[in-house]
Amino acid sequence: MIEIHDLHKSFGSLEVLKGINLKLEHGKVLVIIGPSGSGKTTLLRCFNLLEVPNRGSIVLGDTKLDFTNVKKVPQKSVLELRRKTGMVFQSYNLFPHMTVLGNVMEGQITVQKLPKEDARKRALALLEKVGLSEKADSYPHQLSGGQQQRVGIARAMAVEPEVLLFDEPTSALDPELVGEVLKVIKQLAAEGMTMVIVTHEMKFAADVADTIILMDNGHILEQGTPQEVLVHPKSPRALQFLNRLSGEAE
Amino acid sequence: MDDRKIQILIDTLLPLLKAGVAFTIPLTLVSFAIGLLLAVLTALVRLSSWRIPKLIAGFYVWVIRGTPLLVQLFIIFYGLPAVGIILQPFTAAVIGFSLSVGAYSSEIVRAAIISIHKGQWEAAFSVGMTRGQALRRVILPQATRVSIPPLANSFISLVKDTSLAATITYVEMFRTSQQVVATTYEPLLIYSEVGVIYLLFSTVLSTLQNYLEKRFDRYSAS
Repeated sequence: MIEIHDLHKSFGSLEVLKGINLKLEHGKVLVIIGPSGSGKTTLLRCFNLLEVPNRGSIVLGDTKLDFTNVKKVPQKSVLELRRKTGMVFQSYNLFPHMTVLGNVMEGQITVQKLPKEDARKRALALLEKVGLSEKADSYPHQLSGGQQQRVGIARAMAVEPEVLLFDEPTSALDPELVGEVLKVIKQLAAEGMTMVIVTHEMKFAADVADTIILMDNGHILEQGTPQEVLVHPKSPRALQFLNRLSGEAE
Repeated sequence: MDDRKIQILIDTLLPLLKAGVAFTIPLTLVSFAIGLLLAVLTALVRLSSWRIPKLIAGFYVWVIRGTPLLVQLFIIFYGLPAVGIILQPFTAAVIGFSLSVGAYSSEIVRAAIISIHKGQWEAAFSVGMTRGQALRRVILPQATRVSIPPLANSFISLVKDTSLAATITYVEMFRTSQQVVATTYEPLLIYSEVGVIYLLFSTVLSTLQNYLEKRFDRYSAS
């Protein structure tokens, strides 16, 4: 379970998150949508402390971090939180000097200190799951964007996180490659993986989300089921944003 | 060219080559290895957030880059005995060249580390790595590839710079050639000959550089 309370984040004088509260049950999928600059990626990056909040608290399982009046978060807590989360990046960020298999094994070997054979076994199983068993010995640059992103997902899963974080996982992909990545994410959702996904794919969001939050200007504007947020939003701002998106889709 | 000169060339080739292999090359290798270690350490310190070590590292690079190598060698070999530090020519040369390589190459290493995309750090952090693990497993291997061409440059420079050790009485290849000139009275011939041998060494190293670049290039499309 994840619980975020009154989270604030500023970059210099620019306040990007202005008091975010949310809760996510184990096995559920939370999708974050909103216009660019609304703070959704920053919020996601706070989940694994790639951005350190200025105020508020994050609870993930039995790890509880309070940022209010804290100068520097202890490295031990940072690592603890990061080891409970996995992240899939917009631009994949695979390790280019390692093979696909190496990428998926890396966290298990360096962080979890698993024996090589066990790591390899788990990595191969994950690659099979994302449909890339035959690419195990390729290097990332030899793969298409969609394949690279599926490796990214396998890499994030390999350290057995409690939550998977997706930062616009299909935004850098050619349109014809988006489907294969979304399919993998949907499959994970069906298997009960807890996930937080930042995306611009509204149809996918509606399909996969248990909860959607719509962010605007550092606040949560709408929060609820896909039906509530996408079909019957309460605020005029939300309606405006959704209309503009559906306008673009047509 | 008359027969006498050809005979001198042939007679001196082996002693010169021998001096190169026995003294110039070891001096180069030892100095470069220590220098490279210094360079990586200096680069890491300068990229860290430790204030005092950073100042020291910056000072070191500033002094070494801002003064002539020849002056540094003279201070180490002829100057330090005044304060009771007497060094063998080889030791003095290794210290001088290592410090020099360390300072110049630290900038190469630093630039190579900075050139690695921020997303690589974040990906390493996201699987739970510490800063040290990220550096060792993800950043440095990629930075190595970026830094091979400029480091090879430093290495080739060093091979030639070791001739400066002749001035602090270390009998490497160039000093050997000076001794040969003293007995044969053929400066043009002998100094050209030793120049060609330096050229030969550099060429071999360039070939090695190409090989290394190709090897490290296997994972990159660019």
